[in-house]
Amino acid sequence: MCSIGNELENGSEKYMPHIDKTQVDKQKCNKCKEATPCILLRGKDSYCKPCFLLNTNHKFKLLLGKSKLIRPRDKVLVTYEIGHPSTALLHLIRDGLNLNTPKKLTFDPVFVFVDDQYHLSLSERKDVISNILTEAAHHEFKIKFLSFVDWVLYNRIILSDNSDYIKADDGDKIVSLFTKKMNETNRKEFFNIEKKNALIAVAKQLECKFIFKPDISVDVASNLLINISLGKGSQISMDTGFCDDRDDSVKVLSPLRLFDMKELAFYNLLNKLNPVAIRQIKVDPYSSAQNLLKKFVTELQEGYPATVTTVVKTGDKLVSDIKVLGKCKFCKGPVFKNSELNSEESTHFSKLVSTYLPDRDMSKQDRFDDIKKTFESTVYMTPQHCYSCSKISEYLLDDGSD
Amino acid sequence: MPACSTKCGKTAILKRPKTGDALCKECFFEAFENEIHYTIERAKLFRPGSTVAIAASGGKDSTVLAYVLKLLNEKFNYQLKLVLLSIDEGITGYRDDSLNTVKQNKEDYGMDLKILSYKELYGWTMDEIVAEIGRKNNCTFCGVFRRQALDRGAYLLKVDYVATGHNADDIAETVLMNILRGDIARLNRCTSIITDSGDGIPRVKPLKYAFEKEIVMYAYFKKLIYFTTECVFAPNAYRGHARVLLKDLEKIDPTIIMNIIKSGEDLKVAETTKIPTLTRCVRCNYVSSQDVCKACILLEGLNKGLPRLGIGKSSKVKRLLKENEEKTSSCNSKNCCNAKPEKSHCLCKTTIPSIS
Repeated sequence: MCSIGNELENGSEKYMPHIDKTQVDKQKCNKCKEATPCILLRGKDSYCKPCFLLNTNHKFKLLLGKSKLIRPRDKVLVTYEIGHPSTALLHLIRDGLNLNTPKKLTFDPVFVFVDDQYHLSLSERKDVISNILTEAAHHEFKIKFLSFVDWVLYNRIILSDNSDYIKADDGDKIVSLFTKKMNETNRKEFFNIEKKNALIAVAKQLECKFIFKPDISVDVASNLLINISLGKGSQISMDTGFCDDRDDSVKVLSPLRLFDMKELAFYNLLNKLNPVAIRQIKVDPYSSAQNLLKKFVTELQEGYPATVTTVVKTGDKLVSDIKVLGKCKFCKGPVFKNSELNSEESTHFSKLVSTYLPDRDMSKQDRFDDIKKTFESTVYMTPQHCYSCSKISEYLLDDGSD
Repeated sequence: MPACSTKCGKTAILKRPKTGDALCKECFFEAFENEIHYTIERAKLFRPGSTVAIAASGGKDSTVLAYVLKLLNEKFNYQLKLVLLSIDEGITGYRDDSLNTVKQNKEDYGMDLKILSYKELYGWTMDEIVAEIGRKNNCTFCGVFRRQALDRGAYLLKVDYVATGHNADDIAETVLMNILRGDIARLNRCTSIITDSGDGIPRVKPLKYAFEKEIVMYAYFKKLIYFTTECVFAPNAYRGHARVLLKDLEKIDPTIIMNIIKSGEDLKVAETTKIPTLTRCVRCNYVSSQDVCKACILLEGLNKGLPRLGIGKSSKVKRLLKENEEKTSSCNSKNCCNAKPEKSHCLCKTTIPSIS
């Protein structure tokens, strides 16, 4: 198999050259060229504390400013998620709003946490909410909580300012949602889309034109690979780009998409911020495509950080230009029909030939013509769901709308 | 085993990864062959009366491809003339054995066989190249040379098409690999069922939607003779990376393979993105995205004793080529090579740095 590690290899060629990271102490900050650096990014660029904090703030505002999408006094729904990225985002936004320079952020943020932490006990969930409230208050922000189970089950938007909405049977209700057995990959995708839909509905109710999601580079890269694995190649530019504009009135932006976890964790550390801690459940990487690809990208980030950037940049160069017939009823992604032979058609044909009993008295050619006629006579209406959602559509309740 | 999904009354012998249906041997053969025929007919892969070269390595994919194409050609009257085209890379203990399998196929299927060797095309066998470059990066040479060798073989045989045994797993793996490498140009074209290498001889992939597992099962139940040993010089480490990921994904849900191909077919590169344009190599006139094609660069490296010349970024390679040319011309103008025949005094051979 692989030639790497082969004993015939000469030792010096076997491994990548070792970079001595302790060398950083002897260097000067990459930017000011004076101070002693305190952080090494991308394995080569070292920065001192003031330069690093300034850079991080600048990088955040640069991406927002470059897009020229947000106007002064626009309301922005900022999605809060537990972890370093959201904690940093709270601080970055507060910092930007408090400025008195022309670089001051001028939008009006509304923070929302979609509560789907059903693996926690009742008291743990209440503690989490109280900790999030404390964290938001530290930055002088208010935060609202959305009960995810009420959205998924009844399409209801219940927004609270405290943990009163939490019910003991929330977790059981979510589990009972599926009567049929659904594989973990599709189940995760179902909840993922429901969460996005919930946020868009909340944004509309709160009259926000934009949603910020706290995805960082690793999330973008894993989302891209997840999209590829679910057959959503045509949605990559929306799902992993800076701006997801599939909804006509609400745009979903990812202002942290070029940051990596080290940068934001250090930003929090240097600003003495501690993200809310939460009990995590043990994840089996082989239980779903999402878990596997997240593990793959996380390991990639550790071993080959440049590859994550490559994947993100590759995603930025992709567009969907297919003639769209409509929008998917569930994920609102493009629905289209490809007139050329494609993977979907081939799978449909395979399904037919695997369940169709041929008449062995006919010649091989006649048997094929017979099956082909049956295949072509199957009327495919304009699909209501995109290729990927069609796999979970049988689990979806018809809401009666067109 | 459950009953066959077609309700033919027989017991199933396998579960199809593509659809999850259980099929008996006879129904599996019928389904597999009908699918390949549907792919060929629907994508209009061949014109009647054409000559098709089957790129044959002796492995499972090309053996099944040759067998199925011969069978479909007869049953569905494609009116094709099928020939086998093999490339002898010159790898002792691997290609010499697999070529024996191809020769057996030639007899069994009654097709003509043309074997082109790296030695006659480039003057080097892979054994000699590996002796020169070592075991790292040798796949770069083999891959670049084989692609060109197949095209040259097709040109020599004056065929209308080259059919390759790429299966669904290969295509899905290539999509993943091109994303991980950021190779936008290849990502754009890797899912096409027909590609043109610039010489007017289309390359077609009739097994594009056939799962590797089903190909193996087809070969097994049909008792086809094929060669299974891995190349002694090892597959490319990077492709290995994407392959492991794909195999893991397949374990979770085999239909992910079709999803990845679907994604690859639907995505498109933004028009604003710069994609290298295909042109002709100034030296050998073979299609290339650079002035000098990769094969010529690699060959120059080998012939000048700088085997690492073509390994690495193309910008670095270009710079080195230019330096190489300048030094050679200044060397020639001073006639230093003639005046001082010792190797150490000749600029064109010793002082050009190799990329490490």
